[in-house]
Amino acid sequence: MTITERAALLATAAALAFSAGTSAVADTSDKRIALSNNYAGNSWRQAMLRSWEKVTGQAVADGAVAAADAFTTAENQVTEQAAQIQNLILQGYDAIVLNAASPEGLNGAVKEACDAGVTVVSFDGIVTEPCAWRIAVDFQQMGKDEVLYLADRLDGGNLLEIRGLAGVFVDDEISAGIQEGVDETGKFEIVGSVHGNWAQDVAQKAVAGILPSLPDVAAVVTQGGDGYGAAQAFKAAGRDIPIIVMGNRHDELTWWKEQKDASGYETMSVSIAPGVSTLAFWVAQQILDGAEVPKDMTVPFLRIDQDNLEENLANTEEGGVANVEYTLEDAKAVIAEASGS
Amino acid sequence: MSGRLRQPWLWAWVGAAAVWLATAAFTGGTGSAQVLSAALTFGAFYVIVALGQMFVITLGPGNVDLSIPACMTLAGTVSMKVMGGAAAMLPVGLVLALLIGLGVGTVNFALIRLLRIPPIIATLSSSFIFQSAAIWYNRGLRVKPPEPLADFTTARIAGVPVIALAVAALAVAMHLLLTRTLYGRAVLAIGQNQRAAHLAGIRVERTRALTYLMCATLAGLCGFLLAGFSGGAALNMGEEYLLSSIAVVVIGGTSVAGGYSNVPGLWGAALFLFLLVTMLNTFGAGAGVRLVLTGLIIIGVIVAASGGRRRI
Repeated sequence: MTITERAALLATAAALAFSAGTSAVADTSDKRIALSNNYAGNSWRQAMLRSWEKVTGQAVADGAVAAADAFTTAENQVTEQAAQIQNLILQGYDAIVLNAASPEGLNGAVKEACDAGVTVVSFDGIVTEPCAWRIAVDFQQMGKDEVLYLADRLDGGNLLEIRGLAGVFVDDEISAGIQEGVDETGKFEIVGSVHGNWAQDVAQKAVAGILPSLPDVAAVVTQGGDGYGAAQAFKAAGRDIPIIVMGNRHDELTWWKEQKDASGYETMSVSIAPGVSTLAFWVAQQILDGAEVPKDMTVPFLRIDQDNLEENLANTEEGGVANVEYTLEDAKAVIAEASGS
Repeated sequence: MSGRLRQPWLWAWVGAAAVWLATAAFTGGTGSAQVLSAALTFGAFYVIVALGQMFVITLGPGNVDLSIPACMTLAGTVSMKVMGGAAAMLPVGLVLALLIGLGVGTVNFALIRLLRIPPIIATLSSSFIFQSAAIWYNRGLRVKPPEPLADFTTARIAGVPVIALAVAALAVAMHLLLTRTLYGRAVLAIGQNQRAAHLAGIRVERTRALTYLMCATLAGLCGFLLAGFSGGAALNMGEEYLLSSIAVVVIGGTSVAGGYSNVPGLWGAALFLFLLVTMLNTFGAGAGVRLVLTGLIIIGVIVAASGGRRRI
């Protein structure tokens, strides 16, 4: 092999390596991704939209995709979101990232999108239509983790359960996980259960109502967004504050920090990072890029413990939710994990 | 006594007392005083918005204000953010919340009067605008209320929440406004027969305008106080006040068709609604059973209340 030949070979190899390294950018730089979102009326969703804006804005600037526009329906209704998806198909988006108002209600519109060659990636509020991808949360495990944490801390006692919005599957899943944890550990009894609708003021009202009729409560298991309201209700009733599991909201973490500093109060906090929208974005980008992606993936929880409370609180926007924004590498890791299992 | 029994507001109070006693019987009496105290606090917020809604509904068929939740949210978020937790800004925040209410009422009535949109559509569509304004203005930020406001909304005198006393005083004033003033009589007259009221020389549109303004202003006040009570304003804080503001008015014995209303029933109905949910929570009923029973019991109370009126 002459020197010229060797140089030519090296150049070719280098060119190949270069094109392989940047293929993700090159192949999807003309693709357009839309976010179809069903609701924006609480702090979690606001953080979700902000994360989307931030990460996809950068991705568009870097040329990873041509566009990543967010659309939110006004009324959180299935019919409205179905119409929105149809519009997005007509507008020629290559992929739709979807937080759905209903697991089944949008299947028709999602099928239409698939038939039109549009990639659909659902997350948080996922859809059951088989042609769509799902980035689901293991809510049941989340509920169970809460009880397992309490089992470590306590020898037993009474639990008050604050549930979410009745009739929503997330509420059933978390509650089932909590029940499973209670059965498995065998040392707790759920003495009261109220619906807090994941809203601080609703939770406060419900807990204030049931609290006078309850015996001593050792801990409160929650679903997120309701911990601060529960704390307010216990305080107003003049009762000792039990271990209240928090849900990563800024007001909950702030309250926890205050209690920790004042009296060494210990608890844990768990929820889903609103930045999961950005994970869905990168997964959609990977699918458009031709990567082999399994239809069902699981997103990790964001759990905060006593020792990393300060750090997480500092990173949480005032009034927002503790958040993580995902990168292309995170998405690849989640895809790899799902492929492996 | 039979005259008393025909009072439409009586049944809301009977219902409230019955569910409270049922709860007390179930728990063996433990904590029933605290339950009552909690009911007074949360009932007070219902009553503030229901007072405005009652005047609107009394105006007659088609009159209802659906912008109450959005108005509460907007007033709560803007006033909390402007005050920024500073006690010195408290009067500014309060005035601002009331002005936002006035503004919302003005827009509502302008849509109804100038564009001739039916109130139910006008207030629903304006509520989207106000809710979006609230989202745009603070994007989910929760600002703590000033300390004195939080103290006022959670304070108690001899176990009775101060806010309940204040709202009770407000209710007395509104009762006098409804029954003893020219304006109140005009609202009732319009609800009974708008044409007759007009021919009798009542300035119908001016009365309607005042009513929508008052309703929105009370919603603004409620948003301000509720944000103070629950440790800050949230974007979904008004959500459950849409239907409950109407439910409290109707259960309280006010005629949905307009023309007949009363203030005492509002308090009875507000306590009843809170105690009902508390009772079903205490019984440990599942969510499905709870909703079904809530519906059935509300229907029962309304039928009992209107049964009295039908005999008149």
